[in-house]
Parts: sequence; C-alpha cells; structure tokens
Amino acid sequence: MAPLTTLARAAVRSSAAASLPVRALSTSAACSVAASGTTSPSYSSPFKGAQKSTQVPDFSHYMAKSSGSTNQLFGYFMVGTLGAISAAGAKSTIQEFLKNMAASADVLAMAKVEVDLAAIPEGKNVIIKWRGKPVFIRHRTQGEIEEANKVNVSALRDPQADEDRVKKPEWLVMLGVCTHLGCVPIGEAGDFGGWFCPCHGSHYDISGRIRKGPAPLNLEIPVYDFPEDDKLVIG
Amino acid sequence: MAQLGTVYNLFFRRNYAMLATVFTTAFAWEMLYDNTMNKVWDNINKGRQWKDIRQKYIQGADDE
Repeated sequence: MAPLTTLARAAVRSSAAASLPVRALSTSAACSVAASGTTSPSYSSPFKGAQKSTQVPDFSHYMAKSSGSTNQLFGYFMVGTLGAISAAGAKSTIQEFLKNMAASADVLAMAKVEVDLAAIPEGKNVIIKWRGKPVFIRHRTQGEIEEANKVNVSALRDPQADEDRVKKPEWLVMLGVCTHLGCVPIGEAGDFGGWFCPCHGSHYDISGRIRKGPAPLNLEIPVYDFPEDDKLVIG
Repeated sequence: MAQLGTVYNLFFRRNYAMLATVFTTAFAWEMLYDNTMNKVWDNINKGRQWKDIRQKYIQGADDE
C-alpha cells in the first residue's frame, strides 16, 4: 500500500494538468479516492455492470448503539476473567500434583526423634529407633575423646577425623548399621573399645570408624541437631 | 461512560497491566474459591470431622 500512496501523492503533486498518469493509475477505485484527496467512505466498484450483487450491504442496523468502548471493555473483561480462572486452575493443578509427591503427615511425624540427653550418664550407650533403624548415642568420657583424636587419620581405611564426625565431642551420634552387610554392631566391644559387629567381625573404634574386619566404611552419621543443651533431635 | 474509559485505560490498555490484573485477580479469586469450598465441605460434613468431635475424646482440648 505504501508505495502506491507515495505514487499517488507524487501524482497529485505533479499538478492537475498532468492528469493522464492519475487516470491511468485509477484502475482501482480506492486508489482514485486517495489520489483525489477526498475522504468519502463510499465505495464504487471499478467493474461496471455488476452493481447490484457487489454492493456492500448496510450494516448500521447491527452496529452498537453506544460508542463501542463498552463492548471493548466487556470483551477484555471476559478475556481477563477467563485468563484469571485458567491461571488459578493451572496453578492449583500443578500445586496439588506436587503436593501429592510430598511426604504425608504420618511419615513426617516419624521422621524426627527427640532424645533427652540429661538421662544418659557419661560413658554409656543408648540405642534408639529412628526411621526403623537403630541409632547409637554415646556420651563419651574425656579419655575416650582424647583416644579418638589420637588416632592417625591417614592410616585408616575410611579416613575421617573425629571432629568431622561429631558436633559436640562428648556426644557421638551414629546409625547402628554395620556398613558391611547391615547387622547391628554390639556396643563397648571389639579390639578398639568401640563397637563390634558379630556377623562378620568388623571392629569400630570409639568414634565409630572402621578399624578391622570386612566393613568398607565408618558407621554413618545421621542428620542431628542440639536445639537446647540437653536435647538432641535426630532427623 | 467516563469511568469505563478509566477502567480500560488503567487495566486493559497495556499488556503488562492486563497481565498483572489477571494474575492478581487469579490469586484473589483462588483464595476466595478455596475458602468458600472449604466452608461448603465443612457444612456438609458437620459433626463428622475430627475437629468437630475432638473435644469429646481429648480433655482440655481448648489448651491447644
């Protein structure tokens, strides 16, 4: 359209005297309207003889009585409402689907175990059940802590310093599952004063590190925390 | 008529304004819908849910 209009403007600029190129151009009626410069909306077909069937009907009866902006507003309002309801529905669908994968309330209730540490005297082991597995808690004496720190870490099968295995040195918390084949080791037994697995003879020291026997790794440390001084939360 | 034009100019004219309006409406509508539906559900199941019969079984239920 743009080149046609420029052409038409150029034709007008070249004065009415040279009207021949304008006439030549005006095979299309719309172009002739643009060239003459009038803004009449009437449409005259360039094809003579077929006036009846090509006449544009009168739509004024169907046109909105109001200015039209009410309809526009209503249209956008409906689009926006549909969008809002769809967005809420989509969000709800995804949220419920993801909630489906979350742990249920009974699982969450079993996930944490709280232990009162004041009831455990120094130098004693306590075994509690956590998520179906035994957890060893040992209140270590000062001598045991020193013994655990004295060990040459680099000579161990699974080298790990004692301070990496405990949060408070007097409290050793670890899963009571032998890393060999999953038996439960016996406390205060074995060659290293720690734990001894009766199934295949793995010896763990006072920090729960594997020292002798078939087990490949140290006893596992669960996630735990001391929310208060005399309270331990595992999980 | 004039206030309708204001509404249009404020909420629908620019795309980001319309998007913001739609999402804000969605948020508010979802809360309203959820609350209403929960109330309907509680009303239909009145007297059958744990929170309705809890004080019959647990002494001092008002403490919690």
